[in-house]
Amino acid sequence: MSKYQVDKVMREAILDAKVASAFRADTEKFLAGRDLTEEEKKALIDVDYATLYRLGAHPFLLNGFTRLVWKGDRAALNAEYRTNIAPFGYPDFST
Amino acid sequence: MAELVEIMGISHSPNFPGQIAQPDPEPAIVEAARDYELMRKRMAGFRPDVLVVIASDHLNQFFMDNMPAFLIGKAPRAEGPFPHEMHTFGIAPYRAEVEVDVAKNMLQLAPKMGVDFSFSDEFRIDHAFTVPLNFIRPEMDLPIVPVFTNVMAPPVPPAQRFYEVGKAIRKIIDALPSNKRVGVLSSGHLAIEIGGPKEGRSSSDPEFDRRMMNLVGRGDVETVIEEATWDRMMASGNVTPGFLNFVLLMGLADGKAPSVSGVRFPKSKGSVPYMAWDRDPGALA
Repeated sequence: MSKYQVDKVMREAILDAKVASAFRADTEKFLAGRDLTEEEKKALIDVDYATLYRLGAHPFLLNGFTRLVWKGDRAALNAEYRTNIAPFGYPDFST
Repeated sequence: MAELVEIMGISHSPNFPGQIAQPDPEPAIVEAARDYELMRKRMAGFRPDVLVVIASDHLNQFFMDNMPAFLIGKAPRAEGPFPHEMHTFGIAPYRAEVEVDVAKNMLQLAPKMGVDFSFSDEFRIDHAFTVPLNFIRPEMDLPIVPVFTNVMAPPVPPAQRFYEVGKAIRKIIDALPSNKRVGVLSSGHLAIEIGGPKEGRSSSDPEFDRRMMNLVGRGDVETVIEEATWDRMMASGNVTPGFLNFVLLMGLADGKAPSVSGVRFPKSKGSVPYMAWDRDPGALA
């Protein structure tokens, strides 16, 4: 598990719109060479926020990041986000 | 010797300016805006020469690659917030000169008072600084000394340490080799959850907010430190440790009850607290 590396990806995208565009355009390329597990990499590629949350991604960053790179319907995201992460309670997000 | 003339704590919610600007804000927002206008006048009434501004950073400037617990900024200018914050919240920018001599003196005095601050000569201030500064000193005419605290990346120092650092900053200000009138402005918040299951439209734990503001209002430091543990704050909302900046202010006030304090409970977002300790109660008369 490499929570720090997941947090780092999310923060880079939040801080710089160009980085967020690069992430969205080709996520696999963006993540190449980073010290991430396969599960983390897949969750980032799929913007699978529930898995990222379960793995201990920082919730403050996850919130901003998910809304930033989400490609689907935003109203649906807002409606489902809490429900989808709720089963995981409060994972430890310390790095 | 410098004079500590006013200690003030308010919310740094980046949503609050937008809530006020709405055409028909809810009553609690109108009341909170009035509170903050009174706070602005209060600080102005004490005529500070410099503002020591104590606030957190939301993983914008400081990150887990190099995370300071308490840091003094000593670059010549402070500017913020970050572009993405202005884009997301529509909040206004803020620019201020930094009182570099005071910042350097604080760093030199601090170890004798029991705190080894980190320092930075290159930084940006995020909404935790710019939002309260835009409320309290919209003229942008006062130099500041920014003090950053880590309330975001665990391990976060415990409440006891925030209190002690507040006490140390008071001693440091008292020992500064200048005749400046020093105002302290800190920002934080009460219970709030972001990116977690409890995230909602209002406070994630109004009972925590009521209890803590009651304890702050009575100057009950002991109970605040006992109850404001990491686990208790997390249970109230996953970003609640922003409350610790107010615990630091209790230390700056030497454990005394504030001259005024209160909290509003809007339905639309988190609670909006205020607190102020006046050096001289007659100064505003």
